Amino acid sequence: MFQQLPYNVAVIDREYNIVEANRSFTEYFGNWHNKKCYEVYKKLEEPCNDCPAIEVLKDKKSVVFDSIGIDQHGKKTHYVAQVFPLKTGRGSKINYFMEMTNTVTEKDHWQQECQILFDRVPCYISVIGEDFRIVRANEAFRENFGDVIGQFCYKVYKRKKTKCRNCPAEKTFKDGKAHHSIQQGIDVKGQKIHYAVSTSALIRGGDSVAHVIEISDDITELRKLENEVIEAERLAAVGQTVAGLAHSIKNILMGLEGGKYIVSLGLKKNNKEMINQGWEMLERNFDKTTSLVKDFLSFSKGRLPKQEMIDPVDLVLEIVDLYKDIAAQSGIKLKSKIGKNVKPAQLDHDGIHTCLTNLVSNAIDACLMGDHKGTEVLISVSEGRDKLIFEVSDNGSGIDYEIKKKIFTTFFTTKGGQGTGLGLLTTRKIVKEHGGNIKVISHKGEGARFIMEFSRKRLSSLYKQSKE
Amino acid sequence: MPGNLKKKILVVDDESDVREFLKTALLEAGFEVNVAEDGDIALEKIKKEIPDLISLDLVMPHKSGAKLYRELSKHKEWSKIPVIIVTGHARDDLGKADLKELTMSGPGIYLEKPVKPNNYIAAVKGILKMDTTEEEKNVAEMVHLQNDLKNIIDSADPDTLKKLKELINDKK
Repeated sequence: MFQQLPYNVAVIDREYNIVEANRSFTEYFGNWHNKKCYEVYKKLEEPCNDCPAIEVLKDKKSVVFDSIGIDQHGKKTHYVAQVFPLKTGRGSKINYFMEMTNTVTEKDHWQQECQILFDRVPCYISVIGEDFRIVRANEAFRENFGDVIGQFCYKVYKRKKTKCRNCPAEKTFKDGKAHHSIQQGIDVKGQKIHYAVSTSALIRGGDSVAHVIEISDDITELRKLENEVIEAERLAAVGQTVAGLAHSIKNILMGLEGGKYIVSLGLKKNNKEMINQGWEMLERNFDKTTSLVKDFLSFSKGRLPKQEMIDPVDLVLEIVDLYKDIAAQSGIKLKSKIGKNVKPAQLDHDGIHTCLTNLVSNAIDACLMGDHKGTEVLISVSEGRDKLIFEVSDNGSGIDYEIKKKIFTTFFTTKGGQGTGLGLLTTRKIVKEHGGNIKVISHKGEGARFIMEFSRKRLSSLYKQSKE
Repeated sequence: MPGNLKKKILVVDDESDVREFLKTALLEAGFEVNVAEDGDIALEKIKKEIPDLISLDLVMPHKSGAKLYRELSKHKEWSKIPVIIVTGHARDDLGKADLKELTMSGPGIYLEKPVKPNNYIAAVKGILKMDTTEEEKNVAEMVHLQNDLKNIIDSADPDTLKKLKELINDKK
């Protein structure tokens, strides 16, 4: 019986001597007669450090451990060992133990590691079949969604009764390619969760996709943080806006105060010229109030961009048409440059139109302020790496460092009474609402380049969000 | 005031209405007035003729009031010119830092827009230590007091502010 066991079995005494071993053991580790266990198992000359087997001699319980040894051909081998204490005769003293080893291959180990990886990675992994039933799910998935094997994935993820629209897994079943999307689901506690899911094909025999593996990253916390940041920025913006508004009103009041003073002085002195001068001042500042309120209202419209598929090239040409004459009248050339393969994008037509008119009219003003001739404004649109890029550049007066720091802040203007200080701020707001970025490159006296960049991925995800 | 002894004031502000307003008020009070629409132009005018006082706006294109002030203070003769700041940016991010620097190191007095012509003239006369009417003296004193208080409040910690508020409420 001992000889027939399908394991490598050896009996070892307290001094590490192998006193008996079965056939399987002999075939695997070679000759063991008059040898110490460490010589046979590991081809060592001294006992192993921290020998786990010897522990059974102390507390008499069996132990299991895995180890690496060397077989009789000198080949490294992984094995799992179970060690039992052996009682011989009377008394409680244990003098022998039995070690049963089962060799495992690299592949087994690798599989084991994969299983651990599958269960322990901090994301939800599930394997679903063509019928959208979950075949396997990892630990994180089961913790968050409960016992789910055999259930429909859409029921588990979203508690829905039918397949989701734009299901990335369905796409993968069709084309065998990886797909990604952002989804919203409900966890086992009924809490709403956000996750980014990637699907890949599992092909088992044949060419068709038999299963799809879904790997989802929980981005609920991230979303929450994102929203908190947006909220904080919004509050800060409100504060800035109120301060800016107060400043604008103070300036207008100063003008009204001045007008009032000059008119009353003129009346007192019976000086018609003075009365006229003061009256004009009053009129100007009343007009300023009107335009401030108008700009302010358009700025405060806290709305989501109304995105639709539009051709950015058309938009650029529209602006050129609009400003061609105004620029020409001031002796400024207005040019446009259209990049290669500019594709339609999900933009808010009116919003981007406002941005471009703001930038172009600023550029024209900068040209007027500059003191050299041959000024021109260039408006361009091009495709970058997954980006749509608009650029408005001029060779006008340029912006010095001190002012550059402030141009995107509320109500900052260098145009004296001509500007409300809302143009660039509104522009930035619209760009941000599109998930884009605006930057300026300029030095005093060297013109300026305003660059608006829109990530196509962000545009399409914002578009999807607005449709939901 | 005899013509040849008229004090010369340089009004620096980027808004034409403000320049006109302050100029008119100063002319009425018997001053000689020169205007400039930014720091660069002001510097050119100072080079030609040193004014007795500069009325200075803080946030302006090209050269801001703070920048001009820094340049003046490096120059031996110009650093002695008294300056009164007339600004709308006393409490916002654009002007607060500059104003703090200027009130700590220099002119010490600022008026916040919108200003009343009487207060403005009284403050100017106060800085120039000119003869003033009883009313103007009172106004000048009040402006100084207001300025001191503003400076104290601007640099006070929240606890002190609370105490101040309680104190004022008690008096009411």
